[in-house]
Amino acid sequence: MRKIWLIIKREYLTRVRKKTFIISTLLFPILYIALIFGMGYIAEKTRENLNVAVIDKSGYFSESLLAKQNGIDKSSHLTLVKENADSVKKDYKKSGYDGYIEIPAIDWEIAKTDTLLLWSFKSYGSGSTTPIEAKLNRIWTVIKNEKLGIDSSKSEILTYSQLNLRSINIKDRSANAKTAEGIGYAAGLLIYVILLIYGSQVMMGVMEEKTNRIAEVIVSSVKPFQMMLGKILGIGLVALTQFFIWIAFVLIVYNIGKFSAGGGGAANVMVGNMQKMFSNVDIPLILFCFGFYFLAGFFFYASLYGAIGSAVNEDMREAQSLSFPITMLVILSIALMTSTIANPTSPIAVWGSIIPFSSPIVMMARIPFGVPNTVPWWQLFLSMGMLIIGFIFTVWFAGKIYRTGILMYGKKPSWKEMLRWAFRKN
Amino acid sequence: MSTILELQNLKKYFATQKAVDDISLSVNKGSIFGLLGPNGAGKTTLIRMITGIFYPDSGQIFFDGKKFDPINDVGYIGYMPEERGLYKKMKIGEQTMYLAQLKGLSRTEALEKIKRWFIKFEMETWWNKKVEDLSKGMSQKLQFVTTVVHEPKLIILDEPFSGLDPVNSNLIKDEIFRLASNGSTILFSTHRMEQVEEICDHIVLVNKGKKILDGSVKQVKQDFKENLFSIGTTELPALNGSSPYETVGAKDHSFVVRIKDGKNPNDVLQFLLQNGTSVHSFNEILPSLNDIFIKLVEGTPTARQFQTIKAD
Repeated sequence: MRKIWLIIKREYLTRVRKKTFIISTLLFPILYIALIFGMGYIAEKTRENLNVAVIDKSGYFSESLLAKQNGIDKSSHLTLVKENADSVKKDYKKSGYDGYIEIPAIDWEIAKTDTLLLWSFKSYGSGSTTPIEAKLNRIWTVIKNEKLGIDSSKSEILTYSQLNLRSINIKDRSANAKTAEGIGYAAGLLIYVILLIYGSQVMMGVMEEKTNRIAEVIVSSVKPFQMMLGKILGIGLVALTQFFIWIAFVLIVYNIGKFSAGGGGAANVMVGNMQKMFSNVDIPLILFCFGFYFLAGFFFYASLYGAIGSAVNEDMREAQSLSFPITMLVILSIALMTSTIANPTSPIAVWGSIIPFSSPIVMMARIPFGVPNTVPWWQLFLSMGMLIIGFIFTVWFAGKIYRTGILMYGKKPSWKEMLRWAFRKN
Repeated sequence: MSTILELQNLKKYFATQKAVDDISLSVNKGSIFGLLGPNGAGKTTLIRMITGIFYPDSGQIFFDGKKFDPINDVGYIGYMPEERGLYKKMKIGEQTMYLAQLKGLSRTEALEKIKRWFIKFEMETWWNKKVEDLSKGMSQKLQFVTTVVHEPKLIILDEPFSGLDPVNSNLIKDEIFRLASNGSTILFSTHRMEQVEEICDHIVLVNKGKKILDGSVKQVKQDFKENLFSIGTTELPALNGSSPYETVGAKDHSFVVRIKDGKNPNDVLQFLLQNGTSVHSFNEILPSLNDIFIKLVEGTPTARQFQTIKAD
């Protein structure tokens, strides 16, 4: 046990002290903040207040209607042009406009009109055109109401009286499908990323020891199985560390946002949304399950990746071709997850969440939909039990391959040969 | 003298080769033991069984008088494989500490012993350097230190001098003698015969998985002598039917003669003196280990052939 501990310590410390680890751990939160604040900032920055000439051939638009809407929404300015339409069209720049819109002679009763065109020298993004479109539509609604003889109180009834539909679980009123989808998707995806990134780290680590020829020195001190297990546990701890740092970071941002009254608008809105979203979700259970499936899934796959690392030589292509079936299993799990989120109680979802190779990803996508209603307890326990049996098997199996492979140089073995190593006695 | 290591009928068969096929030997405590053999003879497989890396298919290993227990006994063994290996990106001090602790030393013990070795080999400034900064000879020295730092009872060195310049070679050689005189046993695998002759007390020659020679260096040389003598003189008397030797070769003022069966060196000298020959020198020519090695291994195919092995 002391020796495994030494190996874990070495694997952990050499990785955590690496510059790439520190950079990637810090970079993620920085990118995260940049994404939230940067997007709002960029949207604000790129929006232009346009002064647009409206050439009206339908005769419905009036200056007073435009003036009223211009007063409500100052992000753009519409000016009605009646007399000198041709000169404006020819040279709207000289008249002080950024562009012009020509409204054809349409009939107000016809349901659909052709798309109106905003003519200008520059192409404007939807950030600039959407407010103009909305403004035109508000004016158009006023015109229609007027024609139909609908006064403002009737118009309010038309606008605000609506039927909304939401799916509610009878047994579990708190379950919110939209939130569950989001959490399920995020959790499944995170586990997917961990399995691939840290799984291949295990593979590379084993390959490094083999090509450095340090493996033979180490196995003369410890058993190959201890060496492999120490590596998997050490790298697993690195992954956990990275996640704890990120979770801590999210909590700090969340709390800063919560307590800084009148702070950044975007952050406040985000925190508010997050609070609303998560108030209905069983966070402790999800976190516990995430931890479990993260670790168990990692053991399951990392040991297989380790076995492959031990079997190949320094050639990365050999490693890739041998690890392809394993990587396919992970990718298949993601495909299953997508259909699971669409329908979390379908047979594919249920079986996908119980069979060990896909359960870490698929079950994590189902759990946010609610335990025990969407996912009965027996399914959760069966899935966990199967995954534990599964990873004990893969670790044992990988240990057998590892023991032979780590000292074997020369030709890359086939999967068939590796199976023979595994099931040979001694 | 008690034995530190005893192998009894050790066998290890792989899918296509009898790597080790019924080898028995014993190694005395405090001796320097040479394990010789051509490439692919099964030396590495044999060593891997002694270091607990492989389990033998059959046969027994006794270490220090008891049945070999890989888990506990590996702490008393130091092994330097032929293919050297260290973590390239790890700092040298840390790496040596790690390897010493894996052998069972505590942190403080390891630190103290490593410091002592680093001073002895003038490596103090290396502590915070990485292995990739070292030259081949330097990393060889480091590898030797990591092998012996835990003061093993049995030190197994596979080609310890390859890649070392004469100065560092002598440094390691002196260290091997010192370790042996302090009671450690050295098992030394090589095919460089001149070193074996210089260093080893006892040798075993293996070929194609079998032991073909076992004895002290002196004894082996005696066993393989061909009754050759070198005589330093200007001219040898003419041979006749009663002369006790035949001439094998001549060079400048010395002649190589083979003594006939049933005769001894005294007969030769007597014969020479009777014939009035003035003898400057008279030496027995013993075969070198190199000659013995080539003689024994020659004729067998140098490369091992692949064959199908059925476990029995």
